[in-house]
Amino acid sequence: MPDWKYLWPPYRRAQEREMQDELRSIAQIAGRSEAGNLTRAAEQARAVRGWAWLENLWRDARYAVRLLLRQPGFTAVTVLSLGLGIGANAAIFSLIDRVLWRQLPVRAPESLTGIGTDQSYATFLQYHDRFGEAFEGVFATTGSTERDLSTGGEPVAGRVELVTGEYFPVLGVPAAIGRTILPDDDARAHPATVAVLSYPYWQRAFGGDPAVLGRTLRVGKAPYQIVGVAAPEFFGVTVGEAPDAWLPLSTIAAATPGNGNALDNPNISFLAVMGRLRPGITIERASAMLTPLAVQIQLARAKNAPERIRKQIESSTLKLTPAAQGLSTLRARFSKPLQVLFAMVAIGLLLVCVNVMGLQMARADERRRELNVRLAIGAGRWRIVRQLMTESLAISAAGGALGLAICRPAAAAVLSLAGGSARLPIEIDPKVLFFIAGIAIASALICGLIPAIRVTGTASAGALQQGSRTFTGARRRGIGPTIAAVQLALSMVLIAAAFLFAFSLDRLTRYDTGIVRSHLAVIEIDSSEAGYKGPQSAALNRRLLERLAAMNGVESVTFSNNGIYSTRNGNTPVTTDSFQPEPGPNRGAFFDNVGPRFFSTLGTRIMAGRDFDVRDTPASQKVAIINQQFANYFFAGQNPIGRSIYVERPRGGTPETYQVAGVVQDILSDVRRAPRRAFYLPQMQTESNMRSISLVVRTRVDPRALAADFRALIRAEEPALRVDRIDTADALLNRTLSLDRLIATLAFAFGVLAVILAAVGIYGLLAYNVARRTGEIGIRMALGATRGRVISMVFREVVFIAAGGIAVGIAAAAALGRLVAGLVFGMTPGDPAVYTCAAALLAVVASGAAWIPARRASRLDPMAALRNE
Amino acid sequence: MLVLRTLLFGPLHGYGIAKAIRANSKESLDIEFGSLYPALKRLELKGWISAKWETSEQNRRARYYRLTAAGRKQLHAEQSRWSEFVQAVAHVMGTTPEESK
Repeated sequence: MPDWKYLWPPYRRAQEREMQDELRSIAQIAGRSEAGNLTRAAEQARAVRGWAWLENLWRDARYAVRLLLRQPGFTAVTVLSLGLGIGANAAIFSLIDRVLWRQLPVRAPESLTGIGTDQSYATFLQYHDRFGEAFEGVFATTGSTERDLSTGGEPVAGRVELVTGEYFPVLGVPAAIGRTILPDDDARAHPATVAVLSYPYWQRAFGGDPAVLGRTLRVGKAPYQIVGVAAPEFFGVTVGEAPDAWLPLSTIAAATPGNGNALDNPNISFLAVMGRLRPGITIERASAMLTPLAVQIQLARAKNAPERIRKQIESSTLKLTPAAQGLSTLRARFSKPLQVLFAMVAIGLLLVCVNVMGLQMARADERRRELNVRLAIGAGRWRIVRQLMTESLAISAAGGALGLAICRPAAAAVLSLAGGSARLPIEIDPKVLFFIAGIAIASALICGLIPAIRVTGTASAGALQQGSRTFTGARRRGIGPTIAAVQLALSMVLIAAAFLFAFSLDRLTRYDTGIVRSHLAVIEIDSSEAGYKGPQSAALNRRLLERLAAMNGVESVTFSNNGIYSTRNGNTPVTTDSFQPEPGPNRGAFFDNVGPRFFSTLGTRIMAGRDFDVRDTPASQKVAIINQQFANYFFAGQNPIGRSIYVERPRGGTPETYQVAGVVQDILSDVRRAPRRAFYLPQMQTESNMRSISLVVRTRVDPRALAADFRALIRAEEPALRVDRIDTADALLNRTLSLDRLIATLAFAFGVLAVILAAVGIYGLLAYNVARRTGEIGIRMALGATRGRVISMVFREVVFIAAGGIAVGIAAAAALGRLVAGLVFGMTPGDPAVYTCAAALLAVVASGAAWIPARRASRLDPMAALRNE
Repeated sequence: MLVLRTLLFGPLHGYGIAKAIRANSKESLDIEFGSLYPALKRLELKGWISAKWETSEQNRRARYYRLTAAGRKQLHAEQSRWSEFVQAVAHVMGTTPEESK
């Protein structure tokens, strides 16, 4: 059993002293010759204590650090490049951990289950009252909504989440101070306007003051009493949305005015319903137990459906999803991109490692003489390899420390590039630390092992004499070319990725979305405070249009309820004379209430009929304009103009009738999603309430220059209107493409890195070769070789390396390309244009990098070269 | 085993042990101190001998080793193992070419 006390330095020193004393006493007693080899005795005795390997390691480490400090250039380059590579990998890894793997900070997350998203309140009540034996409890949440929060001063934009009474108890989340929302607070008859703050918000807005209990939080205009602060780690059930406060769902009319009837209207589906399984109940059993209830609910909603549909519902099963990691839109959106990013940073790190390996190879070559001397006097080969590996580990350890330092900022940067609305606290946790340690060790092995083994090989023994001339040709090229080829292959993959995502992004931004985006401004207005309803709302819109149209630099103005490239939409069931769609979630169409000249302002093509204009008043014939999808679906083949469509009213009764006045091109709100059936109503005619108004302005000059004028004009017209934001249509589109821009940006960055490293690799290899073969080149030139010949001799090497590397790179890129098919738009990953551009670029770079050493070789003075040897 | 046996008769310092083994083997076993010393350290680590600084007869300081109880037990165990070994070898060598004559 090893003597653990030995690790303590004072103990070690005391033991050493005692041993020396004893040996000296023996020497005195025995006489020098008698006692024999005392040094050997001491050495063997030390080995007995069993820590020799540790002592050697420590000694090697100190030697390595000393050596590295003496070569600051090499050390700086390697530590920096490894640090960046490791840091990038750790950043993406921690993001993956947070978004994809991390479980919710609640009690027993594994028994949490998602029952359904987009459920109505009526449906939730059914589950809540009748979940029976399957669950311990069931709750619902609206997810985060943006509201202005005020704690006595100016209102600040914030987020709140409306939850049912069992939310906190079922999740098992305690309060840090005060209490959480309880079932009694959520009674419909007398809802309690209480609020529970999130821990971070409490710190931010109240400085962590415990006297916050009892104070008032204003959500919009509604006052809520603060009764508690949630546990520090808790952020809700949706990853990436961290609300500032939780409110009881029954108070929805106060918290979000305008949504007051959300609880009573069975057509409004805005809740996510979750439950906790009883112990011992599996998710399959719970699904089986609840399916009859689910079927019942669906049948009640599809009262008028044909028999076939009812049969379908009856044979369906309720699908429950495990929710240990919470709900997340982030996860669905980010899952593939994160994996792609991880692959890119991994390849980037590998590329850096190969580069560092090349550098270490060159460095080891320079030390060949020293190492061979040590081999000659009896140092074991593996002993030297171990020492070289310790150097490699020292570099990687420093790189790992650097990587740890940049991990958090890098992850934060990636998140902000991805469209900043995700709230995700990034912390370094043990998993990330292990990951960093792991890849640091792996990169040490990759970078250091091969050079160490090669340079201590027996073949190098002949180089004991420095500068011995080996003119037997350069057939023995060694591993240098292979390293360069591998570098080129890896670079090829990254460069191909950069081109691929760049092309894809280009196609995304150029796609015809039905809107001409140049010189188009979108002004988002919240009118809930002003309280305009019905005819006054239409009158307000008319006034705004007139004033804006009269402005200098404005070509035309219109407005929309949903907005441009936004996620707001309304969906309602629609029928026509000739076509009754089947009941089910897909039987309606999307709609929007818009202003006159909507389509001509946007630049949308009018395929038939007309645009909305001043003719459309409350007194005139009720009209609607449909899009191409709608026309194809409901009026396949026939002329829709003049035909009638019947739109269900929210509260039931006879449907509204509209006459089709025009057919327009499909307008896309999301480039990647297929266009959906939609119809448009003129708000001047319908006089429907519009809480949010998006004014769309076509300008003659740069829209951003007019932004301040817009605000002033609107404030002058009606001060109670709140201008939320003014954007250009281009900016709005870019926001929907933020993920693609993120990937393209990172791919571009890695592509640049790859180009640089490839150039450095080729240059380094050739410069080294030329330096090594200076004598040979000198002789050739002395014997009559021309400059051109020398240059072509150098280039010949490059050609083979480049061809090999690029070929392997193309194969690897093609294989990996298949995995990213889902992220690429308008092309396949195997598009030849991508590979052609990448290969061409790399070839040019390699040639350029080879040019300098080649030229230097051709400029050698043969006599000087030979003399220098 | 030899060291343990030597110490059976009383404490000795390192050099004394080497001398004793040489003497008791009638000069045929001359153990190099370089190999004896690590062996002493190993035995000490295993707890079969213990060591203390004492003054020798010539008034010199030296580290004296003595057998511990555990060491005594170990010596007996090794002694019986050695006898078995010797017997077995004797049996093998005992069937001499005479037998096959």
